[in-house]
Formats: sequence, structure tokens, C-alpha cells
Amino acid sequence: MQVEKFYYDNKIVKWFAMATAIWGIVGMLAGLYAAIQLYAPGTAFSFAPTTFGRVRPVHTNAVIFAFVGNCIFTGVYYSLQRLCKARMYSDKLSKLHFWGWQGIIVVAAVTLLLGYTTGKEYAELEWPVDIAITLVWIIFGINMFGTIIKRRERHLYVAIWFYIATWVTVALLHIVNSVEIPVSFFKSYSWYAGVQDALVQWWYGHNAVAFFLTTPILGLMYYFLPKAANRPVYSYRLSIIHFWALIFLYIWAGPHHLLYTALPDWAQSLGTVFSIMLLLPSWGGMLNGLFTLRGAWDKVREDPVLKFFVVAITCYGMATFEGPLLSLKSVNAISHFTDWTIAHVHIGGLGWNGFMAFGMLYWLVPRMWGTSLYSKKLATNHFWLGTIGIVIYAVPLYWAGFAQAQMWKTFTEEGQLKFQFLETVTHIVPMYITRSIGGTLYLIGALLMVYNLLKTAAKGYFIADEICEAAPLHKETSHAREHWHRWIEKKPMTLLVFSLIVVAIGGAIEMVPTFLVKENVPTIASVKPYTPLELQGRDIYVREGCYTCHSQMIRPFRDEVARYGEYSKAGEFVYDHPFQWGSKRTGPDLAREGGKYPDSWHYNHMMDPRIMSPGSIMPSYSWLLDNKIDTASTPAKIRAMQTMGVPYPAGYDKQANADLMTQANSIRLSLKMDKIETPKDVEIVAVIAYLQRLGKDIKAMPKEQTAKN
Amino acid sequence: MRKAVAALTVLLFTAPFVMAKGGGHAPIESSLYNPFIVTLIIIMIILLLAIGLLAHVLLGAASYYYQRQKETAQKSASSTTLKALSIIALLFVAAPSFAQDGDATVAAVQTTSSYGGLSATTFYFMTGVIAVEILVLFVLLYQLRVFLAKGKKQAEEAAGVIAYKPKPAISFWNKMNSFQPLERESQIDTGHDYDGIRELDNRLPPWWLYGFYISIIAAGIYLWRYHVSHSGPSSIEEYQIAMNEAEVQKAAYLKNSANNVDENTVKVLTAAADIEGGQKVFAQNCAACHGKAGEGVVGPNLTDDYWLHGGSIKDVFKTIKYGWPDKGMRSWKDDLSPVQIAQVASYIKSIHGTNPPNAKPQQGDLYKEEEGNKTDSVSNKATEVTKK
Repeated sequence: MQVEKFYYDNKIVKWFAMATAIWGIVGMLAGLYAAIQLYAPGTAFSFAPTTFGRVRPVHTNAVIFAFVGNCIFTGVYYSLQRLCKARMYSDKLSKLHFWGWQGIIVVAAVTLLLGYTTGKEYAELEWPVDIAITLVWIIFGINMFGTIIKRRERHLYVAIWFYIATWVTVALLHIVNSVEIPVSFFKSYSWYAGVQDALVQWWYGHNAVAFFLTTPILGLMYYFLPKAANRPVYSYRLSIIHFWALIFLYIWAGPHHLLYTALPDWAQSLGTVFSIMLLLPSWGGMLNGLFTLRGAWDKVREDPVLKFFVVAITCYGMATFEGPLLSLKSVNAISHFTDWTIAHVHIGGLGWNGFMAFGMLYWLVPRMWGTSLYSKKLATNHFWLGTIGIVIYAVPLYWAGFAQAQMWKTFTEEGQLKFQFLETVTHIVPMYITRSIGGTLYLIGALLMVYNLLKTAAKGYFIADEICEAAPLHKETSHAREHWHRWIEKKPMTLLVFSLIVVAIGGAIEMVPTFLVKENVPTIASVKPYTPLELQGRDIYVREGCYTCHSQMIRPFRDEVARYGEYSKAGEFVYDHPFQWGSKRTGPDLAREGGKYPDSWHYNHMMDPRIMSPGSIMPSYSWLLDNKIDTASTPAKIRAMQTMGVPYPAGYDKQANADLMTQANSIRLSLKMDKIETPKDVEIVAVIAYLQRLGKDIKAMPKEQTAKN
Repeated sequence: MRKAVAALTVLLFTAPFVMAKGGGHAPIESSLYNPFIVTLIIIMIILLLAIGLLAHVLLGAASYYYQRQKETAQKSASSTTLKALSIIALLFVAAPSFAQDGDATVAAVQTTSSYGGLSATTFYFMTGVIAVEILVLFVLLYQLRVFLAKGKKQAEEAAGVIAYKPKPAISFWNKMNSFQPLERESQIDTGHDYDGIRELDNRLPPWWLYGFYISIIAAGIYLWRYHVSHSGPSSIEEYQIAMNEAEVQKAAYLKNSANNVDENTVKVLTAAADIEGGQKVFAQNCAACHGKAGEGVVGPNLTDDYWLHGGSIKDVFKTIKYGWPDKGMRSWKDDLSPVQIAQVASYIKSIHGTNPPNAKPQQGDLYKEEEGNKTDSVSNKATEVTKK
């Protein structure tokens, strides 16, 4: 057979690797900054772009899509070529993919800091960026499938199954969740509202964890771990069963983020049971990784790469055990809305994703530069700093979450809530401080790595095009009996379609009934659309990222009803594009904030929260006192809402600004009564209008009806 | 190290008995539904698993260490053997006592109240068990380290050995995962080769496979219980149950308590302790809107003769208890106990006429103390509001 000579493209791998390191540091810095603001709110400098509500989305987007994203591309571009015995399909597409993705990251960081956000977690980017992401993702797909099609290896290795499932599912998630109606170039509304928006968002959010942070990294593990340990993969049949089970089951589990909310009970239960079933398929990956090291454990003691991988896989095992645990309603009742969740995701993020990325980079760089690692000792130090950092990060947050939940739920014997919300916050501030120390250690470790890798590169010589030889594929002639699964491993397109079908089932079964069956969202007659001023206020609420700290979802618990008021009903959110239920209560729930405090309380509180609540960790929002409301956008916003079926009267867009001014004036007068002089057209007035509306509609309806809903 | 080991053994043996006793006294009432207990139990189980795993690794290290000795030398060094064997013996001894821990846990679950729904005894017992488990983990880790260091050193020195048989625990681990011996690996090699990566075709670990089946069955049972047979409560039913329980508890408590004060029975309290208590509550909750000295900021001045909602002790009590939500005064009945409300209302009465600086201008109607007890101008209106 004729052997062909060809070259692997290492240059694109190098670029992605550098981007991984750079964005990793940037993302971690943003995280550290956000963490510090939680105990030193003054560090936000009363400057809009540096407040927690805007920095936090920058942190999450940077570590997920910039750090882990580039890490995935690094690993895929390196391993795919070698597993297919072919150079990437097109160097041009590789370059386009690289620069397109980095461009998106830069635009994302800038727009998020400027307050352009859709207000949906991990999908905050506005619609032009969403379109750009779709295009770049398609470029990546073409490049990947082009390479697969011109491969010189008949069967696809398990790593590639994971890459394919990742590609198709992320495309599906991103497109479905990003259906939004543009109002202007950088403002859009989610097409879905309230309960439905929540379901779609958490279907997306949960599976972003599954198909962006888990499956592609498992693919990387299947390539880099056996390579680094020089051991065969433990079990082929385990790969098959855990791959299909994982992608099928994962997609259903989204509603476990919405337990005890206004989401219909049946959907919540599906989220719970599929999370339970997900445990062992998730562990399949861990077992296949750890058991691959059988007979190589002596190497783990010596090799920092394997050390990183072992801890990463262990963290993966812990996080995927904890996931189903948190999906049990009785545990979720404690953990949800607290720092427990934050600790949980950081076991996954710092442990699994971070350590896989570090291990991979330590393995790749010496090989691509044809040398050995500059300092093994430094790498080992990085490993220990990182590991200790994770422990010091996570343990205080677990403690904080648990302690705060217990304080929230404690009643005195007379039947009163024992603790004010603020007391439960100040109680855990020491844990916030400790957590940021853990994060700092982890960051220092990452900086050591950058130094070590730069030194390694400096002492080697970069092999931009690595030569390889392989025979081209010929039509299959032998018909020897094969394992049944081998046939699909020869058919990448069939594998793609099967993966798509398998992941589409769960989402469709949960979403279609929630959208179509009316009983799932019972109508409440007294719930009315927001007034134009309230709508503007709501957009400011979204812009400032208030949802990163405040929930708007009162769960049916004794303590929450006592603290916040009647528990939330599905019908209350039908005009909420997007929903703002939130996932974390760093501050109190706001679902029934309306009428709780006078207008002037809110005015003073926004100016400096510590005037009204001494010890509060909320940043000041002083710019709201001066910024003018963007009234020019009101008609377009009303029209967008009408398009989505919000029942404003026909032609209301023309009258909206007049109504807005009337309502603004009444708030100005009420502030004046309390000796506060303010123009009526400033943003604070709109925010007050929105906050004073929250949760009030339901109070206008007769008592018996409330009970029924 | 010996001392630590001895202490540990004693602890492990005594702990379950002590705890079981503590648990036994408590009334058998609230249950596994208490999420706090469930969480504690889960933490215990995870720690137990970790201990099991570590014990296994330690045994593995021990067997590895002996294997090495066997290969490298002939001489026997009885003192080290004794030490090592005692460690292994200890591990076996420890295993059954873990099982007892578990039993005791179940006993302890049957208790009630105070620490997140637990009695103090149970709470300390459970945290005690967790602490012991953590201690065991540390001791095991320490031993492992000592062992590894020793094994390395001995291997280097090629020192003396004794004959040694593989530990049964190892074969248990192998059996559990249905491991093939490494030497027979070639028999299960699939022959796949991807960029030098080979694939074995080991059997699925039985515990994994059956665990997966069980999780699927559990999922079916869950759905059946909550959505077909409806024997489990829905979210809303759970809420109603919790509210009813709370109501009963509260009523039982208030029946025997001086706290049973409401707007009809409240009297001005004059004891220094009461006024001080009221002042504390005021500083924490009221000062933000009414000013540190009650001079009025966002809310009205509380020191003058003018009142928006009546100035009698009963009116003030009612205003605090139910609030005037439309005017920006929130209700405090879920935050403050009746006695606390009475105290803060009394404190407010006590600062009448203090004329603090920066006082807000008068709001509302003039109120004179003498007529206070006779006419309660706004009481009817207020009752109406609270009913709404």
C-alpha cells in the first residue's frame, strides 16, 4: 500500500494554547475581583463597569467560553489531526476560527462591562454577538468535519465521538436559547417569557456545563491521559455505554436548577430523576480515566501532568456525585440560592476544567517545541498551590452556604424569623475573605505555569509542521466479524445525526408541553404588563446585573413566605422577557419588593446602600441618580413587546412616553415629600417604579383565587 | 504514632455506644425528611467511603511494600513486621466499628429540634461522628505517608523481609471492579490503535453496572410515588404541612408564655430592661427610616405630638405589627416577637418630647396622651387593613 506523507498543523494549536493561558489568567483575575467586592464593596469605586453585577458575567463568560473554550480548541486541533491521521481540513478556516473566537471574546468583555446584556446567565451576550458565535461555531464544525472526512483512519476514536456530540449539541443549545427580538443594535428581549424562559434558559445553562465543560473535556481526557500515561484505555465497552448514556440523560436534567420554583412539578421531577440516573454514566468517564492508570500509578508520583489529570478526574467524580445530590429536593431546599452552588461549580471549574487544561498544556508545550519541561519542580509546586487553593476556596463556601441556609430557616419559638437577611450575610463575610485567598493561590499557580511554559518554549524550537506518514483509506474489503458499535464509528455523519436525535429527545419532551399546555402556566387575571416607566426600569435592572445577586422567586417554604411574602406563582411572570428569577441570593429576594419600602428608601439605598442598611455589601449605584432615562427607545421597546404578544393597546408606542413622564412625575413628587429633590427623567426614578411594582399584581386579586393558583 | 493509633481505636469503639445512648433517649419523631439530617448523614457516608478507599490504598501500599521485601532479600526483620501487621490488624478492627457508626447514625436520626431541627445531643453526636471520621482520615493519610516513605527507603537499602500473602481486601477490590490481572491484558486488547493509543475491553465494573440499573429503578419509583400514586407530597403540599406544623408549635408555645401580647392587651412597659430591649430593636430596624433619635428621616418624626396612625401604645403597636404598606411602613410581625414589638412601642413612647436635632416637621394629627386610652381613632380602619 502506498504511504502518504503529510504535516500536522501545530501552529494553530500553539495559538489556541496561548489564548487558553492568557484568557485563563484574565478570567481568574475577574473572578478574584468579583470575590473581593463581596466583602469590600468599596472596591467597585461607584463606577458602573466595575460593579459586581457586570464583573461577574465577565468572569463566568471568560472562564467558560474564553479559557475552557480555547482549551477545548487547543486539544481538539491537536488530537483530531493525529486521531484522523490528517492535517486540518483548511488552514484558512482554522485561522478564521481562531481570530473569530478571540474577536468575540474581546467584544463580549467590552459589551458586558458596558452593560449590554440579555440578562440570561452564561448567555448574556447580545444578539449581534450571538450571531457571530453561531458563524464561528459553524466554521469550526466545517473544519472539524472536513478533517474527519479526509481522515486516513477508518474508525473514529471515542474522543471524536465526544467532539461531535459537543459540536452539535452546543449549536442546538445556543440557537434555541438565543431566540430574541432585537430592539436596537445592542438591546434585545428574549422571545420566551417567565416560566418558559426559565425552562429554556436552564436547559441551556445546565447543558452548557454538560456539553461545553464536560463532554469535550472528556474527549480530551481520552486522548491526553492514555498518551501521558502510556497505557491502553481501560474499557472500550465502558466508553460506548457511558458516552451514549451520558449525552442522552444529561439533557433532561436542566429543571433541577428550578426545584421548588413556579415550574410545573412534573418538569421538576424529571430534572430530579434524570440527575439521579446521570450519576453512574458520569462516573463511567471517571472510571475509564482512573482505571487506565492501572499499572502506571508509580508514574503519577513522578509526573506533574498525570498528577493534574488524576486530581482533575477526581474532582470530576466529586462534582458529578454532588450534582445528583443537589438535585434531590430536600438537599436543594438548603443548597439553592446559597454559596453551596458556587462551591460546587468551582470544584468542577477549578478542579476538573482547570486542572485538565493545565495538565494538557504541560504535556503539549514540550512536545510541540521538541524539548522537555523547563522545570518539573515548578510544575509540581503549581500542582500543590492549585490543589490547596481549591480546598481553601471550596470549604469556606460550603460552610457559608450551609450556615446561611440554616440561618434563613431558623425561627424563634414565638414563630418569628430569628435572623434579618443582612445578619445572615455579615455572618458569612469571613468565609468570603477566605475563599478569595484560596482563589489567589490558584491564580499564583497558574502564573507559575505561564512562566514555566514560556521558559520551556524558549529553550526548544517550535515545530510548526510536524511530519507524519500514513496510508490513505481504501474501500473496506475484509468482512471480519466486528464489534456491533464499529459500524457507526466509520460513519461520522450518522454519528452526528444519532447524537442530535439522542439529545433532542429530552429537551423536546420537557419544553413542548410547557409551551403548549395551558394548565402549566395558569393565568392570573390581575397580572398586567409593565408600564413604560417600569419597563425602562426593568431594563436598567437587567443592565446592572441585579439578577447576579437578587432572586425573584419565592419558594413555597415557611421561612421564605414569612420573609418575602406569598410564594411565587407561574402566572405572575407571563410578561417577563427575560425572566429574572436568578440563581443566587447574595442579597434578599425581590419578587415582592413592591411597596415594602418608601420610594425615598430606595433612592437613598441606591445612592449608598450602607445609609439604609449598615453593613450591607451591595455596591453603590450613584450613576442612576444622574443618568437620563433613554426615552427614545420606549416606542421600539413597546413594539417589540407587542410582537411577542404583550397586550398593550394598538398604537400605544406613540403614547408610551407621555405615560412614562406622568408616572415619573408622581414618583418625583413622592420623593419630594421626603425632602429629596430629583428631576423626573433620571434612571433612579425608573428603577424605583420597577421595584415598587414587583410582585404587587397578585395582591389585587381576591384571596380565594390566590390560594387556588 | 502508636499512641495516636491506640487513642483512635478507643474513640472508634466508644463513640457509637455513647452516641447510641444519646440517640436512644430522644423521642422518635421527626425523620429522614429533615434536609439537615439527610445532609449530615450523606457527609458521614461520603467520609466513610473515603475512609474505605484510603484504607484500601493503604493495604495496597502495604502489600506492595511486602512484595518488594520478598523480592529483594531473605533476612527477616521481625520488629517492622510486627508494626506493619498491627496497622493492618487495626484496619480490620476499624472496619466493623465503622459499621457501628452507621447504625448509630440511624438511631440518631429519630430525634427532634433546635440545631436546624436536631436536639443538641444528636447534633453534637453527628458532628462528633464526622469529626472522628475526619480524624481517621488524617491518621490513615499519615500512616500512608509513613508507609510509603519506609517502603521507598527499604527498597533502596534492599533490607530484610518475610514471606507474605496477598491481602484479601485486594482481591475484594479486584472482584468489585472485576479487574483482569495486568499480565493477562493482551487477551482483552481490542487491537485498536489510534495514534498509538490502544484500547482494552475490560468488563464493566459490576457495582457500576448494577448501580446504574438501581438508579433507573429508583427514578421509576420516584416518578410513581410523586406523580402516579401521589403518596409523596407536592411542593405546595409540603408547604402546607410545614405551615400547619409551625402553627401548632407556635400556639403551644404562646399558650404557656408571657409573649402572648397583642394590640388589644398591650400596655406601656416601663422597666429599664424593656426600654433597653426596645432601644436595641429600634437601632437595628427602625433608625434607618425614623432616625437614630426618632427625629424622622424617610419616615415621620416619632418624638413630637403628631401621629399619622394614632399615638396610643395600642396604635403604635398595631402600626409596627401590621405596617402601613401603602405609605411605606412595612409589617414587622414576622421579624419581631410580640414582646419585642411591645418593647419597641414602649421605647417610642419613652422618647416622646425629647426634641432631637434635625427633627422632621409635624405630620398627621395632634395626639394627647390623656385621651389615648378612650378614643382609638384609627383602630377600626387598621383592623380593616389587616384583614385585607
